[in-house]
Amino acid sequence: MEVQSEHASGEIKHLQRCINDLISLLALPAIWSGGDPSQVLHTLLDALMRMLRLDLISVRLTDLVGEAPVEIVRLSEQRRPMSSAHEICEALSQCFKNDSRKWPPLLRNLMGDGDVSIVALPLGLQGELGIMVVAAEREDFPRQTESLLLDVAANQAVIGLQEARLRSQQKRVADELDRQVAQRAAELATANEKLKKELAERGLVEERLGQEERELKRSEVRKAAIVDSALDCIVTIDHEGCITEFNPAEEDTFGYRRDEVLGKHLADVVIPPSLREKHRRGFARYLATGEARVLGKRIEMTAVRADGSEFPVELAITRIPLEGPPSFTGYLRDITERNRARQELRRSEAFLAEAQHLSRIGSFSWRMVTDEITWSEQLYRIFQIDRDAQVTFELIGTRIHPEDLPAFQEHIERSRRDRSDVQLEFRLQMPDGAVKYVHVAAHIRGDHGQPEYIGAVQDVTERRASEEALGKARSELSQVARVTSLGVLTASIAHEVNQPLSGIITNAGTCLRMLAADPPNVEGARETVRRTIRDGNRAADVISRLRALYGKKEPTIESVDLNEATREVLALSMSELQRNRVIVQQELVDDLPLVAGDRVQLQQVILNLLRNASDAMSTIDDRPRDLLIRTEPDDDGRVRLSVSDVGTGFEPQATDKLFEAFYTTKNEGMGIGLSVSRSIIERHHGRLWAMPNSGPGVTFSFSVPCRAEGLTSDGARASRVPSVSDAA
Amino acid sequence: MELRQERRAVERPLVSVVDDDESVRESLPDLLGELGYAARTFSSAEEFLASDCLDQARCLILDIAMPGMSGPDLQRELKLRGQEIPIIFITASTDKSARPRLLEQGAVECLFKPFSDTALLKAMNTAFHRK
Repeated sequence: MEVQSEHASGEIKHLQRCINDLISLLALPAIWSGGDPSQVLHTLLDALMRMLRLDLISVRLTDLVGEAPVEIVRLSEQRRPMSSAHEICEALSQCFKNDSRKWPPLLRNLMGDGDVSIVALPLGLQGELGIMVVAAEREDFPRQTESLLLDVAANQAVIGLQEARLRSQQKRVADELDRQVAQRAAELATANEKLKKELAERGLVEERLGQEERELKRSEVRKAAIVDSALDCIVTIDHEGCITEFNPAEEDTFGYRRDEVLGKHLADVVIPPSLREKHRRGFARYLATGEARVLGKRIEMTAVRADGSEFPVELAITRIPLEGPPSFTGYLRDITERNRARQELRRSEAFLAEAQHLSRIGSFSWRMVTDEITWSEQLYRIFQIDRDAQVTFELIGTRIHPEDLPAFQEHIERSRRDRSDVQLEFRLQMPDGAVKYVHVAAHIRGDHGQPEYIGAVQDVTERRASEEALGKARSELSQVARVTSLGVLTASIAHEVNQPLSGIITNAGTCLRMLAADPPNVEGARETVRRTIRDGNRAADVISRLRALYGKKEPTIESVDLNEATREVLALSMSELQRNRVIVQQELVDDLPLVAGDRVQLQQVILNLLRNASDAMSTIDDRPRDLLIRTEPDDDGRVRLSVSDVGTGFEPQATDKLFEAFYTTKNEGMGIGLSVSRSIIERHHGRLWAMPNSGPGVTFSFSVPCRAEGLTSDGARASRVPSVSDAA
Repeated sequence: MELRQERRAVERPLVSVVDDDESVRESLPDLLGELGYAARTFSSAEEFLASDCLDQARCLILDIAMPGMSGPDLQRELKLRGQEIPIIFITASTDKSARPRLLEQGAVECLFKPFSDTALLKAMNTAFHRK
């Protein structure tokens, strides 16, 4: 989720930038409208230089009617190439004479020793207009979107150049006409005077006129070819708004045939009925006052096709610079796809924002060179910082919990230094004193010049709260379990203590009687006193064992011999087991590795397993109540202890439930024992499980890691096993 | 297996003590001796049943909870065999509810450990008075 969201965020930013660039490129014709080819190229090159951070851009035009080839070379100001612009220009001129596919390597030599990516773009379908060369010293150049931008730029250049050329041709034709008319008038005047004398020359004059007409016609044909092949819709209208030209792209887009619409009002053909009146008013106003609201601008509007369907278009209208009644050219482009992409981008942004809001995840980027930090909207919400604020580490610091601030700052410094992935959890303190827990995950990306951390911040306050509640509940449960165990054990404790006490009292009574006899039986009395002392010690042992089992509160980690721990538990519970007629068989393997853990907690688990086994066999009368307790080394440096009974067992479908708190198969009991036992074992990085025996009964087993593994592989882990009671 | 005989005198009535707890088996014979009885001890009901003491004992001091055959089990077994020996139950359990049922089934007394010498003497007197 985090990785996806930051990837999506970066991708969206990139795409957005690309769309912005595209829009800028598409808006260029409005800027160079009416300019000459050189203006077109300068405008375009400036824009590309800026957008794509190019090191070199060059354009050479080969086919400009009647004009010398235009060549422009731009070099990045940041870059100081080995060769001067002039030299590169010279070299490029050389290149142009050769096969254009061969010269990028030549050029590469001129650019210096850096690794330069060079892209050559033919201008015109066959490169007939010329060639554009761009170069950048970037590894990732050109990216897919940059190639797209370059293609669009090349197309724009072609269209711009063709328009410019068209304009210059039209102008030239008009000039030529004027000149010829004047000349012809003069000639006619002269001819009139010399008509009779120069009758013979008349044929020549007529022939020349014919030649000029053909020239004009050729120009018209060339212009028509350009208009016909343009990708954009091009329509021309006369001063009444009637269509005089309608190119094939327009036919495709609108679904009209050219001959259907020629002479019709543009408004009636392409403008939706609802907008027609407005269009007419604007057109009339322009004709009356010269006030143009749309001329020379790119505007977006709705157009209508022959079948009545409406669609968004981008429209630029220019006035054809000819004398006489005004006429206009309109360039129309279907922007349905562009709008759809824009909408999808907006929707995707909205999705992301909503997802971040719901999941309480905010994303950020941190450019390490400039310390420029960008936040998603949700992150401002998490930090409760005003959306307009400039995010700085200083500002962030004001929200970090004072106790966590030093660690946070150290993490920042470490990230700056190591550039390693970040996984961090810390607390925020809001202005009202409320504390939030946040989890931060970030990783670095970007090229060498612009390393950037991209990451996500999740508000985990609720999760932390529930974890704490869970820990508290578990601790309470374990307390209940202890109390329950104590309650059940009371009889057993009394039994254990009463046995030696009984000996003590009996011996003491006997002693008194022996001493009261006449003569006193001193020897016998001494023997009874000796036994009294021994029984007293036995009682003390019982008490100290019980204290060891139930007295301690804080868990301590020590090396535990599970065999010894098992024997102690058996010693405490043996009489109870015997009363329940359980026959205990021990298979405690010699040289069992020590385990690291809390001895008392592990003994509580063993005791619990023994009692469960005993209880499971309480109704068994047709076979011996055999209980087998076994210890053995397990796989992977673990030690396993298992307790098998021949009792009633459990339903196979109950296996999953066995370890749930309050699940019990017994009539008495709270069903807490196994769930607490499992949590104790899991806190020892072990596991506890149950398996039905092949014969009657069940085997419960647990395995825990040996001490050596715990100490060497993870000292911190072995040094402290959280107790069930310290989670809260 | 442990078998101990204390001051075996012809005139002293024989009392059998059956208890799995060693403290009891060690201490009770001396006290019984002071009270004027001879005593033999057994660590289990099965051992007692297998011994020649079965016919000689005039009273049985019997632990309730023992591995294998329990005290009440032995009481039933003796009844089945027609051996009517007065029985004084002793137990380390604190559960007093067992006592009325045992008395009902013919036990002389049920003493809860630890018990005093006078409590034992009183029970012994009752046992032998009955006889």
